[in-house]
Amino acid sequence: MTALLRKLRWWLQRRRKEEELREELQFHLTEEIGERQADGLSQEEATWAARRDLGNATLMREDARALWSWILLEQLAQDIRYGLRGMFRNRTFTALAALSLALGIGANTAIYSFMDAILLRSLPISDPGSLVVVKWRSRPPASSGSGHDFVMHSEDGHSYTDPSGISAAIFPYPAFERLQETSAPVLSSLFAHKLAHGVNVMINGQAELVQAEYVSGDFFRGLAVSPAAGRLIDADDDRVGAAPAAVLSSGYSERRFGGAANALGQAVVINNLPFTVIGVAPPEFFGVDPAAAPQVYVPMRVTSLLLEQIGEQAFVDQTYYWVEMMGRLQPGVDLARAEAALAAPFARWVASTAANDRERANLPALRLEAGAAGLDSLRRQYSKPLYVLLAMVGLILAIACANTANLLLARSAARAREIAVRLSLGAGRWRVVRQLLTESVLLATLSGALGIVIAVVGMRVLTQLLANGQEAFTLRADLNWHVLLVTLALSLLCGVLFGVAPALQATRPALMSKLRDRSVSQSSMRQRGARPRLAQVLVVAQIALSLLLLVAAGLFVRTLSNLQSVSLGFDRDNVLLFELNAPQAGYPEPQVADFYADLRRRLSEVPGVREVTLSHASLIRASRSHPITVRGRPTQGTRVLWTGPRFFATMQIPILRGREIAERDRQGTLPVAVVSDLFARTNFADGNPIGRRIEIAGSLSVGGAPLVFEIVGVAAEARYGGLKGTVPPVVYVPYAQIPLAQLRQMTYAMRTDSDPLRYAPAVRQIVHAADARVPVTNLKTQAADIDQTINQEIVFARLCSAFAILALTIACVGLYATMAYAAARRTNEIGLRLALGAGRRSVIWMMLRDVFVVAVVGLAIGASAAFAASRLIESFLFETKPNDPRAVALAAAILLLSALAAAYGPARRASRVDPLAALRHE
Amino acid sequence: MTSQKPPSRVELLRGTLDLLILRTLLPGPSHGHAIAKHIQRTSEDLLQVETGSLYPALYRLEAGGWIAASWELSDKGKRARYYRITPKGRKQLAAEQSKWNAFVRAMGLLLEPADEDAS
Repeated sequence: MTALLRKLRWWLQRRRKEEELREELQFHLTEEIGERQADGLSQEEATWAARRDLGNATLMREDARALWSWILLEQLAQDIRYGLRGMFRNRTFTALAALSLALGIGANTAIYSFMDAILLRSLPISDPGSLVVVKWRSRPPASSGSGHDFVMHSEDGHSYTDPSGISAAIFPYPAFERLQETSAPVLSSLFAHKLAHGVNVMINGQAELVQAEYVSGDFFRGLAVSPAAGRLIDADDDRVGAAPAAVLSSGYSERRFGGAANALGQAVVINNLPFTVIGVAPPEFFGVDPAAAPQVYVPMRVTSLLLEQIGEQAFVDQTYYWVEMMGRLQPGVDLARAEAALAAPFARWVASTAANDRERANLPALRLEAGAAGLDSLRRQYSKPLYVLLAMVGLILAIACANTANLLLARSAARAREIAVRLSLGAGRWRVVRQLLTESVLLATLSGALGIVIAVVGMRVLTQLLANGQEAFTLRADLNWHVLLVTLALSLLCGVLFGVAPALQATRPALMSKLRDRSVSQSSMRQRGARPRLAQVLVVAQIALSLLLLVAAGLFVRTLSNLQSVSLGFDRDNVLLFELNAPQAGYPEPQVADFYADLRRRLSEVPGVREVTLSHASLIRASRSHPITVRGRPTQGTRVLWTGPRFFATMQIPILRGREIAERDRQGTLPVAVVSDLFARTNFADGNPIGRRIEIAGSLSVGGAPLVFEIVGVAAEARYGGLKGTVPPVVYVPYAQIPLAQLRQMTYAMRTDSDPLRYAPAVRQIVHAADARVPVTNLKTQAADIDQTINQEIVFARLCSAFAILALTIACVGLYATMAYAAARRTNEIGLRLALGAGRRSVIWMMLRDVFVVAVVGLAIGASAAFAASRLIESFLFETKPNDPRAVALAAAILLLSALAAAYGPARRASRVDPLAALRHE
Repeated sequence: MTSQKPPSRVELLRGTLDLLILRTLLPGPSHGHAIAKHIQRTSEDLLQVETGSLYPALYRLEAGGWIAASWELSDKGKRARYYRITPKGRKQLAAEQSKWNAFVRAMGLLLEPADEDAS
């Protein structure tokens, strides 16, 4: 410690100390000279003798300084200066090596940061580890004939079916009540919640759709969240008849009221019901689902009025599955014990809800899952794509490392002579190695710094790509320092391994042979084996890995182009879509249809708008089915679209027979329907259904009897419900002729003369003028609507193409460096060949042949790996085989050509050497 | 710290230079050159202190707190760096000296055994 202080003190006053030392030695010298003169020597002789006696003053100073200072530190500074100079001198080398490493580091950090945000991060609440999510699982129901096969008769939420069964996290409300009664021994709290994707919130006359969370009274207590202002919803708020209270998210209170404190006590109208803001949630709290960001929390029991269509029935229906549940384990209770304690009461309860033997034979069984990270909807959606992306960026990092290794290898080999000179001049071996180490670290540091920049930019781009214009995209990703450090360490390791190891070899005592190396380079023809072999292995690896990425890119691009060339049956261009939900905003039921119709008329008067129509959903997102019968015979897989007048004209779907739906098809007239060609051919033997009747039951029944529609037209096939899969038979019915209570949200479609988005302000203005309570949502073009359904494919195709180009570039750089190095080593050999009469062409060919061999080996390895690995991405492909030979062949061809192109430059330069100069070089 | 002097001179044992410097400074302060000369003369030229060893040794002793240095005028009126033994240095000297004496005694016993050893 004292030594450290001393050194520090010395360092602070080193200039004075150095001066003192110099003066002291000078005094010594003068004394010595004086003494020698006194002994009778001449002044000159005396000075000479004294100096000789004094010895190496510099060395002495060094010795003295070593006592005071960090010699290591000084040398380090030297090394860094030298390294930086070297890097600056070899700008191209530095840029290539640093950039390729930085891309590897940046891409990995960005993707991993997303993964961390989605798959690994815990909820920002205290002790997330004790949270559990309640789910159930059952065998797949054997569907048969009539009646129900499964206790879940209807659902609002997700259930996941796979070959081994169904699983879901939604329950009937009575099940929640039953579990709440019995959970106390194992759970300190059990709470229910339900995300509503769009509730109409009106504040100060401004309406908008926001995400809301319906929560049970224990929600905030169970999550141990404390309010940012006011108080949070508790059990007293969650009672029938309680004063309607709402809690806002911190961000929403900021946006709508300018701060948490201002929001307290304010009135908000949610789905046309008055609520009072009682509190604001803390800023970091985003609910329990990382995929969502509810802005309003309202008590579950008072929301029965908000629940569309179901209402109070939702709280008593034992077969309607909709609430989600989470709980917190009692201290000392583990997941298995809690599950066992809850499974039994649930099993008894659910058995009591079974209506027949088939239902009793396959009852759902309760399961608990760890809930530290909240709900897994985001994980389900993104985990597999992210693993694929992670694998890809991992490959890029591998390629970048191999590339850096190659570049360093070539360089340290080129520096073997420099090192030999340094060693022979008396530099310590460790000293030389340390200097090379410093340079590698410098390079890695530079790459790391660049990598951070790339990661930050990459994350932004990725967020945009993934969101792709979706409203309420809530994926939060922060730069992950762990992975940054890991990738940095990896690149460092690679730098050290390949930058220093060859140097270490070069610093072996056999100096003289290295110094003489220049004069014995004839032997390099035979020597060519040793080090280049490692370089070639690295190039092979790079080519093989690049091929993997190229093949993947090819497959994804083909998938995307297959999807984009799917025949739609309608014209997607120049159509503007937006959604309205008048009943939700409190529009009186009898007038909803009129409101929609009136708005359609007003919109069609906008100059430049050719046609306006509406349907219950856009064609590509629709998925409505009702039991439909033709003369009492049920139809298979028929889908329904509720449409407005001029739907087929707007979407430009040809009417093959009859007419399309018109304004005169209203309430009180004979219900009519247009059917798709497929429906006509499937259900009518002669293919001409005009004038025939179909019956639609389910929610369209009136007084228990199915609604009867007369077919008035047959439309050509058009895509319904997504681009993948087969087009189902479709029945189009006028929204104006169905029971009005069924009318909910509608999607308007406008065919415009020019860029549809130019009409967005006009749309907002007209709707606002018609009724300010009804907000316009999801305003976008039909093209964007379709693209959003294939967002993952678009992201994959774009990212993967970028990755593939990156890999290709890096691999070519590596190849170029290797070739340039090989060419430099073989200058004499080539000179000799040229002198002996070899043609320049044959020299180029000789060099390229090596590359060709290396590339083909790499391609062979890569292709076999691609065949094996591409199965992993099979589920991401559309109408493309995972081992599509065309994709592999194309990728291989691109790679081979790029490799030869990269190698051609150095090869040509090598062939241009002046044979005389090359030989004289000896 | 090792010296490569002609065979006529005795090589300083490692560590003994510190002891000699401290002993030289015991009577009073002195500068580097004088210390070297004093050692050389007192040892009848058997010990030659190399400048290359002397000054690093002085700095080491100074850093250890056994001697202190200050700039003063020499008897010829020139600025010189004078070293002075500190109380800590005196203690160190005493300890080193007894160790050295023990060492010399041990060496003497081993190299010139008493006569009875012959039997």
